[in-house]
Amino acid sequence: MPERVSHGFWFAAWRRYRRKPLAMAALVFVCFLIGVAILAPAIAGTKPVLCRYKGQIYAPCLSYFDRRLEPAIFVKDRFRGTYPQNLREKDPESWAIWPLVFQDPYRAVRDNEWPGRPANPTKDEGHPNRFNLFGTDQYGVDVLAKMVHGTTVALAVGFVSMGLAGTIGIVVGALGGYFGGWIDMLLSRVTEVVMCIPTLVLILALVAFVDKPTIWKTMAIIGATGWTGIARLARGEFLRLRSSEFVLAARSAGAGPLRIMLRHILPNALAPVLVPITFGIASAILTESALSFLGFGSPPPSASWGALLNDARSNLSMWWLVAFPGIAIFLTVLAYNLIGEGLQEATDPRLRESRK
Amino acid sequence: MLQQTSTDRDWQLAVIRLVGIVGIVGIGAAGCGRQSDDIPADVLPESLVAEAARTKPFTTPADRLLEDFEPPALDALDRDAKWIDRPVLDGLELMRSQQKDEPLLATVEEALAIKNDAAPANAKILSALGQLPAPHQANLEARIDRHVVGDLGSTNPIMISTSAEFDILGLTGFGLFSFDSRLEPFATADTVASWQSSTDGMLDKVVLRDDLVWSDGRPITAHDIAFTFQVIMDPRVPVPAVRSGTDQLRWVHAYDDQTVVFFHKEALATNVWNINFPVLPKHVYERTWEADPTLKDSTIHVQLEQSPVSGGPYEIVERKRGQQIVLKRRSSWTTVRGKQVREDPFFKEIRFRIIEDPNTSLLALKAGEIDEMMLLPEQWTTQTTGDDFYERSTKVTAPEWVSFHFGWNIDTPFFADRRVRRAMSYAFEHDRMLEELCYGLYTPAAGNFHETSWMAPKKKLVPAKQDLDKAEALLDEAGWVDHDNDGVRDKEVNGRLVPFEFSILVNQQPLRVAICTLLQQNLEQVGVRLNVRPMESTVLQQLTQERKFEAYFGGWGAGTDPDTSENIWATGAGRNFTSYSNPEVDRLFAEGRRELDREKRAEKYARIQEILYEDQPYTWLYWRNSFYGFSKDLRGYVFSPRGPYHYSPGFSSLWMPQAE
Repeated sequence: MPERVSHGFWFAAWRRYRRKPLAMAALVFVCFLIGVAILAPAIAGTKPVLCRYKGQIYAPCLSYFDRRLEPAIFVKDRFRGTYPQNLREKDPESWAIWPLVFQDPYRAVRDNEWPGRPANPTKDEGHPNRFNLFGTDQYGVDVLAKMVHGTTVALAVGFVSMGLAGTIGIVVGALGGYFGGWIDMLLSRVTEVVMCIPTLVLILALVAFVDKPTIWKTMAIIGATGWTGIARLARGEFLRLRSSEFVLAARSAGAGPLRIMLRHILPNALAPVLVPITFGIASAILTESALSFLGFGSPPPSASWGALLNDARSNLSMWWLVAFPGIAIFLTVLAYNLIGEGLQEATDPRLRESRK
Repeated sequence: MLQQTSTDRDWQLAVIRLVGIVGIVGIGAAGCGRQSDDIPADVLPESLVAEAARTKPFTTPADRLLEDFEPPALDALDRDAKWIDRPVLDGLELMRSQQKDEPLLATVEEALAIKNDAAPANAKILSALGQLPAPHQANLEARIDRHVVGDLGSTNPIMISTSAEFDILGLTGFGLFSFDSRLEPFATADTVASWQSSTDGMLDKVVLRDDLVWSDGRPITAHDIAFTFQVIMDPRVPVPAVRSGTDQLRWVHAYDDQTVVFFHKEALATNVWNINFPVLPKHVYERTWEADPTLKDSTIHVQLEQSPVSGGPYEIVERKRGQQIVLKRRSSWTTVRGKQVREDPFFKEIRFRIIEDPNTSLLALKAGEIDEMMLLPEQWTTQTTGDDFYERSTKVTAPEWVSFHFGWNIDTPFFADRRVRRAMSYAFEHDRMLEELCYGLYTPAAGNFHETSWMAPKKKLVPAKQDLDKAEALLDEAGWVDHDNDGVRDKEVNGRLVPFEFSILVNQQPLRVAICTLLQQNLEQVGVRLNVRPMESTVLQQLTQERKFEAYFGGWGAGTDPDTSENIWATGAGRNFTSYSNPEVDRLFAEGRRELDREKRAEKYARIQEILYEDQPYTWLYWRNSFYGFSKDLRGYVFSPRGPYHYSPGFSSLWMPQAE
């Protein structure tokens, strides 16, 4: 009789997860988005990914992540944001590796900025064409470039805000569930209070009062208000597990509360908590899009999917402004929901039993 | 416009103020309609207007705006003063006589058949459809559905401050004065028998007609006017807009039921606007005013708010909050003591439909649910060109004196230096903004007075063309150089290296944000960092009012008189958000107000404009022209620098033909 290898819980869950084609497709899609977000400046941009100028190698494209990363020499030499001709004129020896699509997410490309490339169409004339695969908005900015760069925002919003919410939620839930008594009482009431705060209204108020509203602050608020569901679930799990035999064993072996919570209960309580986090990512992305749609999103010139939808609102005949970002938001949210569902099915033993 | 719109000076001022403050914020006010598509309504916080009003210097303590005054007897006045007659005119007649001399460019049928795709077509439509009706040509039983973007704050005549209130009080309010499409003031023949000014400029005497009644049947008399003046100047009454200007009067006294005399503090060129304020019925408010000086809290004032006593040709018969306001022609306006004493206004019923979203209102226009609306440039260019629009409607455009600008806060280390402000103007791609962002529909602006106005300089000022080299040279000169090699210019201020990075406040309207984003790109090219901060209008108002900004995007509507812009430019003035100060400008404004000769006045204001152009406290961007869509059933629209409605006759020149 062959020896049965006993796999860990997570390995088993992963095996079950892998068998679900939809959930796997969703995971692949999210990985693809992560790839797009990281490589955004190399996919669409007007600044070289790498270039050699006056004997030095630079990566001006990094300035898309943070404008402080733009090498000062190009400002000094009065490149004024247009690289192709300036590179050639100011240093004939120079070479550059260009992004796949020569389009900028923040401005319209001018006539002949790239040899042979016409200026981007403006007004309502920016139908999808050879140079602008997804068309342009009213001001001539390429929609594809905006979407590619907007991926960063869409993903960051989900991960950052839910990372924050998850941390707060698990800590609060763990403390309440494990200790019980008045601590539980207090934390549960706090949870209920926070539950009553309307996130959107809070963000709108913040935008009005904060001096430099950035996308990070928005994420922080989504996270700081979105942990309540996670906390409740975590509390329930901790409440259930603290009276289980292995916890009793650990305690009788002399383990302190912190050790018990982190080493013994948390790994066992994590699976059900991950599910609302995944769903939370999806809703955070929707919240951010909704905010941008209302005009309260990341400050302009922002490349946010929701902001694109907002542009479309004033002229519905420009269907490409609705269709592409709309599809992107839909697919991303769907992907997260599918992942959440797959995760739930893969980790919940009861669901597994019922399938048999 | 109907008589009533005659209280224009005020409304005027109110409006100016509005467009002013509100303009900044993105809500077009009266005469400009609404331009923002994401602002719910024209709401102006009272405190703000009150603040603006306070900036006019008072000679009395703050708790008492009026000093006691014993008006001399009328015979003594008549004996001492030398009177000259001032014009008493009928706005419609005036327009009729003006139109007689203008060539007709097309017939009505032609004008209705063409599409407004270029200037000649626009001229034809304006010419053919702007004509007043021949006798019996107008359908006096007609109803018009007008578009307003927000509900009324108040129906009390002296509480007006927004464009919607202005529109409705223009039809239901009583007034003595008005001005024509060239902004020339006159007394309206419908209410005034004679108007005289003293040659020393200190007195104005008006004799009212004796056939005027309020909608409750009581006569309208000179006492109502003197009474209203007292109410407006009562510091307990929270008058949002109409106090400024009125506060320049020394006293108003009614000598009998018909004769009222305005006493001025000083002989000012603006006195002709100062005597023009809305009028309350004395018999209604006399007792309630003392009991409740807010004029809106007590039961009786709440009732009056719902169904006010009207002194104009129309009265409010229905008011559904947030939906519509219905006005009906009032017979006691035209027929007094069984005799017809005034012409019937052209519409029997006027319905104001409140629609906030511009897309919804455009759909309503196309469906024939409303008969007129102001169009956004984007709607003008892209959504009103097809047969679906021209089936029921047509559209026209005309210049309007509403300008927009970037304001630079001179109180910050960045913009204290004039060279820096000029560098901003040279860095900005003005042409691209006009062509690409504004669809080529707006007129470039380079100063605070419109180039076609009498006070504009003879030599036309033009906006700076983008010249990045010049901008960089100016910044270098001003000491903003990239010392620390991080790609951003900086300068040592108070021993600290300050990078040239600042924020611009802007209303969330997409076009305005796009213009600021263009500025951001341009400045990035010369090593200056700009953060664009779109925000809600109320927040923007507050921050600019408190001078808590580095730069902002805003706009002003021009007043009927150049003096109204003094509180934007004079040192320390209420709406001088950029903290601009130039003694010469202060002096020229003071002189301009006292100069009674038009030519010499014009020179002073032209000089002010030249100085401002040199100093560039603003980078002026564009004049926003009027764009209107009208039902094909409408005739008689004529545009003034303040749009198609806010002058005399204005709205009251509109009519509908009899059905064939």
